Amino acid sequence: MQNRPAIRTAGALAGLALMGALAGCSTTAADTDSQSSGAAAGGSAAATTSPSSESSASTESTDTGSADGAYTDGSYTATGSYQSPGGQESVEVTLTIADDTVTAVEVVGDTDNANSTRYQSEFIGGISDVVVGVPVDELQVDKVAGSSLTSGGFNEALETIKADAAA
Amino acid sequence: MPRPEHRWTFEAIGTHWTLESDTAFSDDVRTDVLDVCERFDAAWSRFRADSVVSGLGRDGGEATMPAESSRLAALYRDLERVTQGAMTPLVGVPLSRLGYDAGYRLHPDGPPVAAARWDDALHWQGRALRLARGEILDIGAAGKGELVDQVTDVLLSAGHRRFCVDGSGDLRVVGHREQPLRIALAKPGDAGLAVGVAELAYGALCASATDRRRWSEGLHHVLDGRTGTPVTEVQASWVVAESAMIADAMATALFLSPAAPLRELAEFEYVRLFVNGQAETSAGFPGKVLA
Repeated sequence: MQNRPAIRTAGALAGLALMGALAGCSTTAADTDSQSSGAAAGGSAAATTSPSSESSASTESTDTGSADGAYTDGSYTATGSYQSPGGQESVEVTLTIADDTVTAVEVVGDTDNANSTRYQSEFIGGISDVVVGVPVDELQVDKVAGSSLTSGGFNEALETIKADAAA
Repeated sequence: MPRPEHRWTFEAIGTHWTLESDTAFSDDVRTDVLDVCERFDAAWSRFRADSVVSGLGRDGGEATMPAESSRLAALYRDLERVTQGAMTPLVGVPLSRLGYDAGYRLHPDGPPVAAARWDDALHWQGRALRLARGEILDIGAAGKGELVDQVTDVLLSAGHRRFCVDGSGDLRVVGHREQPLRIALAKPGDAGLAVGVAELAYGALCASATDRRRWSEGLHHVLDGRTGTPVTEVQASWVVAESAMIADAMATALFLSPAAPLRELAEFEYVRLFVNGQAETSAGFPGKVLA
């Protein structure tokens, strides 16, 4: 299941034909190899194992021609549209690229069709790059939600076992 | 509008609760909340020898459960079907095998065992619960959320209109439309770091992660019922839904299933963090991941 995020990301982008639009926005076009590696790094390393990723990669190669092998760092926004049962729908996708790696994907749906909103959110659920984390005390928050604090009994038992193991 | 001024903390069902409200917590409300918690624990806890479910499993038998049984049974049956048996309330036996038993043995007493099949070991419909001898019913994936909802109902009935119920990270927020609560999504293994922030004006946010109830390398409390082994691909999830029962259950289900079939069962938004460090965020999640 490691490759599920990659499949979903690549599938969503390929389905909306956005990679081509993205390449068009890029001031420094890339060759197929670096573009694939960029997509793989952003989506995850599974791109070459996923049929849907491969099909999206081949789409990219037809839209790019330069061979200097690098993207210009920055954010790229493209709007894709598609036909849904409720009419024409569109989504806006913003990719942030740094060092030939997609570091962020933001997708904003533009639809007031409830069904479409639902299905869009299904298949454009964004995959982020590796999350490093931000110190909580730098955020203005009221509460913290993580895994449930565990029961006293569990924690006591764990401490006992650790103590026994150390003895 | 400032934060609610009244705050009450207590221990129930083995964990820490914090209630905050604009309305003071009267003695009656405190008694009612603690009663609700005690009744829930006495019916459902697999960690109490004197609970109804413990008694049913020990000898095999049938009982009429409290009203929440109908909700829980329907939800678990749906999730069991959609996850093809990966998520099941019969996970108690496999969990106990790995060491997460009522006595907190915390070491395996044999190789993993799969959960019994629902139709072989369990009849659970409405308030009727029948359990085969030797089975351990574990509703841990949705139970705390359900109780958060019940505590919320107690406060609503008592006239509280702006409050937050926090059952150790499983939250219900009421009446914060003007100033949503900002909630950090704590990074597993390092509660000082946040992987994101959610903003909640009304509804529930529940989290699940494999870092806390972890007692040894590779052993934690989220199991695939079909194999009885801990899951390895997802490390944390956060779910926003209307009820805490749904949010709690889906937070666990996201360890065991793609999101799409789960969202056929109930509306929710989510973030989940894979073990490779990438986060998946549904488009409507009220907040953001800080990558």
